[in-house]
Amino acid sequence: MTTVVEKAKTAPRKRKATRQGTSEPVKQDVHEVLIVGAGFGGLGTALRLQQDGIRDVVILERAADIGGTWRDNTYPGAACDIPSNLYSFSFAPNPDWSRSFSGSGEILKYVHYLADRFNLRRMVRLNRNVTGLEYDEAAGVWSAVTASGEVFRGRSVVMAQGPLSNPGLPKIAGIDSFKGHTVHSAQWDHEYDFTGKRVAVIGTGASAVQIIPALVPQAAKLKVFQRTPGWVLPKPDFATPGWNRTLFRKVPASQAAVRKALYLGHESVALGIVWNSPLTRVVEKVAEAHLNRQVKDPWMRRQLKPDFRIGCKRVLMSSDYYPALQQDNCELVTWPIARISEQGIRTAEGIEHQFDCIVFATGFDVSNAGTPFPVRGVGGRELGQEWHRGAQAYKSINVSGYPNLHMTFGPNSGPGHNSALVYMESQIEYILKAVRVLRALEIKALDVKSHIQARHNREIQKRLAKTNWNSGCKSWYLTEDGFNATMYPGFATQYARQMASLDLKDYALIRA
Amino acid sequence: MATIDLDKMLEKIKDSQWALADIDWEAPGADKISPEQWPKLKAFMSDLMWIEHVGARGFAAMAKKAPTDTLREIYTYFHAEEQRHANAEMALMRRWGMLEGDELPEPNINLRLTIEWLDRYSDDMPLEVLGSVIPMLEIALDGALLKFLLEEVDDPLCHEVFAKINGDESRHLGVDFHVMEMLGRGKLHQLAVKTIGTVANPKLILGVLAYAPLLNKMRDNIVAMGLKEERLYDAMNKYERIGGRTEEGRRNPWFQIISQHGKMVVNRSHPYHVPVDALVKLTSFIPNRAVGPVPTWVKGLTWRTTA
Ligand SMILES: Cc1cc2nc3c(=O)[nH]c(=O)nc-3n(C[C@H](O)[C@H](O)[C@H](O)COP(=O)(O)OP(=O)(O)OC[C@H]3O[C@@H](n4cnc5c(N)ncnc54)[C@H](O)[C@@H]3O)c2cc1C
Ligand SMILES: [Fe+2]
Ligand SMILES: [Fe+2]
Repeated sequence: MTTVVEKAKTAPRKRKATRQGTSEPVKQDVHEVLIVGAGFGGLGTALRLQQDGIRDVVILERAADIGGTWRDNTYPGAACDIPSNLYSFSFAPNPDWSRSFSGSGEILKYVHYLADRFNLRRMVRLNRNVTGLEYDEAAGVWSAVTASGEVFRGRSVVMAQGPLSNPGLPKIAGIDSFKGHTVHSAQWDHEYDFTGKRVAVIGTGASAVQIIPALVPQAAKLKVFQRTPGWVLPKPDFATPGWNRTLFRKVPASQAAVRKALYLGHESVALGIVWNSPLTRVVEKVAEAHLNRQVKDPWMRRQLKPDFRIGCKRVLMSSDYYPALQQDNCELVTWPIARISEQGIRTAEGIEHQFDCIVFATGFDVSNAGTPFPVRGVGGRELGQEWHRGAQAYKSINVSGYPNLHMTFGPNSGPGHNSALVYMESQIEYILKAVRVLRALEIKALDVKSHIQARHNREIQKRLAKTNWNSGCKSWYLTEDGFNATMYPGFATQYARQMASLDLKDYALIRA
Repeated sequence: MATIDLDKMLEKIKDSQWALADIDWEAPGADKISPEQWPKLKAFMSDLMWIEHVGARGFAAMAKKAPTDTLREIYTYFHAEEQRHANAEMALMRRWGMLEGDELPEPNINLRLTIEWLDRYSDDMPLEVLGSVIPMLEIALDGALLKFLLEEVDDPLCHEVFAKINGDESRHLGVDFHVMEMLGRGKLHQLAVKTIGTVANPKLILGVLAYAPLLNKMRDNIVAMGLKEERLYDAMNKYERIGGRTEEGRRNPWFQIISQHGKMVVNRSHPYHVPVDALVKLTSFIPNRAVGPVPTWVKGLTWRTTA
């Protein structure tokens, strides 16, 4: 550790040295690629870089282990809602998924398998919480500072800190005054025993619809606090039969074919979910039929029926959420929350609902109008400031004025209908190309031209205006002002095409 | 009252929340209800509590139709606040020994019919109709009845509770009339065409058949309680005064229809009362079980401060 700290102390002097042309001493501690975050994004990038012969890669991870989303989201019922065969990397298929939609634990195992099988752990530095990134223009070097003051340096840097990695709490008065137990879905407390407890779940989003069916059988009483109901589609979850796994093992092409079919199936759903088309009504009808079949009481149906167009917010997948809500010990509360008190939650109908434990299934702080930590580019410009009215990038991955900085799940890269990992693979391949270009042309940096970036964004925003996300509902996809800095307006196939080539004409090539 | 800033209003609403637990329901003064007042007050409170629900159900329907997120959220709060009023009124009844266990007060049949109609059809009514009728009910029934209550009842806790309720109601009325004016914007002939289309809607006619006798019935109740019916009329006139204070408000065709109707209601010698009073009589023969099953939201009503 001390050596790294010493390096940090000597860093400025070395940068100076570089400016004077003696770049030799810097070389040994400037890695070829620095990556922030050891989730699917960071590890996937490292894996592909390594396969490409780029081995000087360091991954900084703030937690004590790798895994990202699936290390943190271990709440009861946690699972993916895109079929596992599609929610995995095509370059590292897993024939052994036990279910069509695997649970959190199994997905985490897959992440660990990737790290072990491809020997990625050697690159990972755990317990390194990155608090800032800064570009040294003269040297063409990025440095990452950690909370403990260490500095890591790299020619290129990949921000793979995850789109949904910082748990978010709602703005509710008195939230700190509650004397009972509190848990956030993404920081589950496995020590706490819910048996016989009076439990509140705040939120009815993607995590809540998984938690609620798992908690109802345990809790004595469970009340669900809903602000806005979401559209719920049935989830065809089943155990994978043994013959299936054998087949995938013996004939890998069969698994690739299934993946392709799943991919195309999800792509077709985009027609209904991303844009308002005749298919939108069809998908809404399916969700409505699901609601009407599972919920008989007209008032409860009314409470659960969304007012916004399907696709405007994340579509939920569950076959056991509605039945869980109707268990005798479960109650759906749709009154607005007035405040949290010492003993429970006071809602606007004037009643204090008392609990032993409050579960916050309230999602994440999404930085769609800023960055999770300061990022300084050319001439000290600061990305968060530039983004305060909404994040913008070129092809979601590069930002003008921040040479050699790449992002997984940057602005306008979010899928509404398909696996995040499909999008991520396109991003990873693009990063590979950029890093290879630096090597091949022996240049210092690639910086996207600002007018190219602006043109790209005009186009994206024009296309976004026609999507369901921008059709009038409030969601975490939008900034406070309703700017959509999150989603990609199109099919995954279109996104892949956008990412397929890195056109050097779009970039300023900065030579040493 | 000029037009209001709805975003600021929403903040104010959020900052003005109160709970049943804020009130000491055991505070002295419960004995100030005289034995001869007691039965009348019980009937009165039962009606009042269900009138809160007419407003509640109306706001619930309006929330689904609100043109903006802010207004939707405001209506969602108002819906809850009317339920809070009903809960608080039940807590008062309980304090005065008018409720046993978890029993709910019985509404009169005209109220039941109105709530039944709201439950069935209000979600299908355009915002224009609800946004113009609900203010009349709020100002006339809520307003007139509350005044009466405060004059007749000496229990200080009753005054404390209704001070809170009135605080909420002043915000309701502010938004009510603001929205009525909002609904009067736009081309006059478009407003007219849309209105004619809705007037012919059989669901609305059913609504009128519930609403008209409700007003007359409440008038009868007020008289039976020894209160001057002019009280009710004063309140109804207020609807015309406030609703018609601006050009936009007067242009809202539903405002015109409802205030014209109000004029007939307050004119006792108007032939209007012959069929409507007959309806009140007639509906009084409807046995309670003939009205549809009680909607499940009723289960949420409670006088208990905690749950
Ligand atoms: C409950 C849940 C279910 C989901 N289900 C699906 C699904 O079914 N299908 C789908 O496509 N997507 C799903 N997602 C989205 C999911 O986030 C992505 O699919 C994917 O896991 C993102 O991977 P990532 O590597 O980009 O981010 P993450 O997995 O979040 O990894 C980021 C890593 O960076 C680390 N980090 C963050 N900040 C710092 C810092 N400052 N310094 C150092 N390290 C840092 C974090 O600790 C974390 O390990 C789900 C998300 C959640 C939360
Ligand atoms: Fe009220
Ligand atoms: Fe009211």
